[in-house]
Amino acid sequence: MKPYRLVDLVDDRPAEGVFRVNRALFSDPELFDLEMKHVFESGWVFLGMASQAADLHDYFTTRIGRIPVIVARGKDGVLRCFVNSCPHKGARIATQPSGNARLFACPYHSWTFDSSGACKNVKWHNAGAYGQGFTEEDHDLAPIARFGEYRGFLFGSLSADVPSLDDHLGEARHMLDLVADQSDEGLELVPGRVRFTFAANWKMQLENCSDQYHFTSTHPSLIKVLERRAAGENGAAVKSSLAGADFWKGGDEGIVGGSYIFEHGHVVTWGRMEPNPSQALYSSHTALLEKFGADRTAWMFNMRNLSLFPNAQVAVNASTQLRVIRPIAHNLTEMETWCLVPKGESAEARRLRIRQYEDFFNPTGMAIADDNAVYEECQTGMTGQDGPWLQGHARGLAATRKGGNDLSDRLGMEPVSSVAGPSQLADETLFQGYYHAWLDRMSEVLA
Amino acid sequence: MNDLTLERARLTLADAQALITREARLLDEQDFAGWLDLYTEDALYWMPAWRDDNSQTEDPDRELSLIYYRGRSNLRDRVTRLTSGLSPVSRTLPRVAHILSNVELGGMDGDEHVVFSSFVTHAYDPRSDRLSYHFGRYRHGLRQVDGEWRIASKIIRLANDLVPTVLDVNAI
Ligand code: FES
Ligand SMILES: [Fe+2]
Repeated sequence: MKPYRLVDLVDDRPAEGVFRVNRALFSDPELFDLEMKHVFESGWVFLGMASQAADLHDYFTTRIGRIPVIVARGKDGVLRCFVNSCPHKGARIATQPSGNARLFACPYHSWTFDSSGACKNVKWHNAGAYGQGFTEEDHDLAPIARFGEYRGFLFGSLSADVPSLDDHLGEARHMLDLVADQSDEGLELVPGRVRFTFAANWKMQLENCSDQYHFTSTHPSLIKVLERRAAGENGAAVKSSLAGADFWKGGDEGIVGGSYIFEHGHVVTWGRMEPNPSQALYSSHTALLEKFGADRTAWMFNMRNLSLFPNAQVAVNASTQLRVIRPIAHNLTEMETWCLVPKGESAEARRLRIRQYEDFFNPTGMAIADDNAVYEECQTGMTGQDGPWLQGHARGLAATRKGGNDLSDRLGMEPVSSVAGPSQLADETLFQGYYHAWLDRMSEVLA
Repeated sequence: MNDLTLERARLTLADAQALITREARLLDEQDFAGWLDLYTEDALYWMPAWRDDNSQTEDPDRELSLIYYRGRSNLRDRVTRLTSGLSPVSRTLPRVAHILSNVELGGMDGDEHVVFSSFVTHAYDPRSDRLSYHFGRYRHGLRQVDGEWRIASKIIRLANDLVPTVLDVNAI
């Protein structure tokens, strides 16, 4: 890797109306290694949902960057997160994505650990003729430095030197509230974990979730199907919540969508959707209106693609999807995806949500594979290059306002900046939020 | 149903083998119109997801599937998209070979004759120069329509469910 300075990687000169990103952020394998250490393994990342370990001794496994971790609920009901590696010789303790275990037994020499990570037994300990050094050592599973929950969303950090979770999430919490408030009982994941890979950099996924500009270009094949269905050519089709919305169509005037940047790299792009029966949430519309009033309820029905830097996305559009981004190499990313739902919704609403999800969000459906393909074209196109600057972060710059706007005010939400406008505005400046957080985390290692 | 229809509707192993082999060939030849014709109007096309390492989702209304459609017109939607030339991942379709084996008659389920088989699909994607393979088990439910065997249901139990970029109806 060249001795990059941060200014070589992100050209951020707001006074001159310039924001540009270097191709090396996508194409350089050594820069990727630094990202793993300093973006993923030194700051807050999303881990999963509390509902994935709902009962005593439930657990699930995931990673923080490259580091395998276990999130488990102890016998005291408390969720904890520890490194999924045996103190003895490093073996992975939990080998399944989820389960229930009062005790974790290491597969190698049977050391055991309880669901709070405490070592309960070192096999043949008394006959082991251990020296004093071993006796004085802590044999428990190593807890991660920071762990926290916000309304069912779990986060962890391998570094203790991070802001509180509330600070980290900041005003983006309003966007999580809009999801969490949909049920008194909280959120859950529909059983069925879907994973896929694409041969491209993880930041392609981060950006694309916030990219309103691509929809009519990357997904015309889906739009063609939606048109077929609208014309009644498929009587068996699931209702589409996108078909009736205008925010992506590109023909309108006025404000139909926009974006907000929050502190610490979280961003949301949104589009207006009028509450209607093609949305699974519609069956709760009246109840939500009563409980939360017109403004908050209107927001709940809007399309909202939220990214929580660096690795989680909640996409509320054709259905509701939770995505966890797991970078594997500079040019390979694995996605873990779930249908995220309010607990206790009607059977009919659940069925609708699931059908819409499969149709649109699965890698075996009609949209996501096309996104994967264009990421790969970008990756291939940028191979081996660290110039010229990319031009993909410029739309919307002249429409960006500091702070919030009338619509964020209705939620009492104070973003760092906002853009609102017609669908053809298709703001790209919200990606700046990602790169500001990226620069912040990378400043530990690059000048 | 009178005795005559019952008599006519007996499915032999050879019939079953012929039909599912034909389905595989039509997919490999990208004859999607021919493929759709094999299905009944009300056909079920279902590929469950994995709930955890050991079990698959079972209730498509409460749990997620990789693909779940009732009605052939949904499969027609998929073919429309796949062959539209408007899908970046499908503009060049992968070259696919379905390999079928272990065909076994599974008796009746309602009015459907059940056929079990194992499959492997190999795909080469010229766009990315990528090779992929998928494997698992099929459970076809066959029914006679106008004297021809048709697929009234197909359940695909995909064993390797980590999807590399794309997996569409042409390659499973
Ligand atoms: S590595 Fe775990 S007990 Fe030896
Ligand atoms: Fe997309």
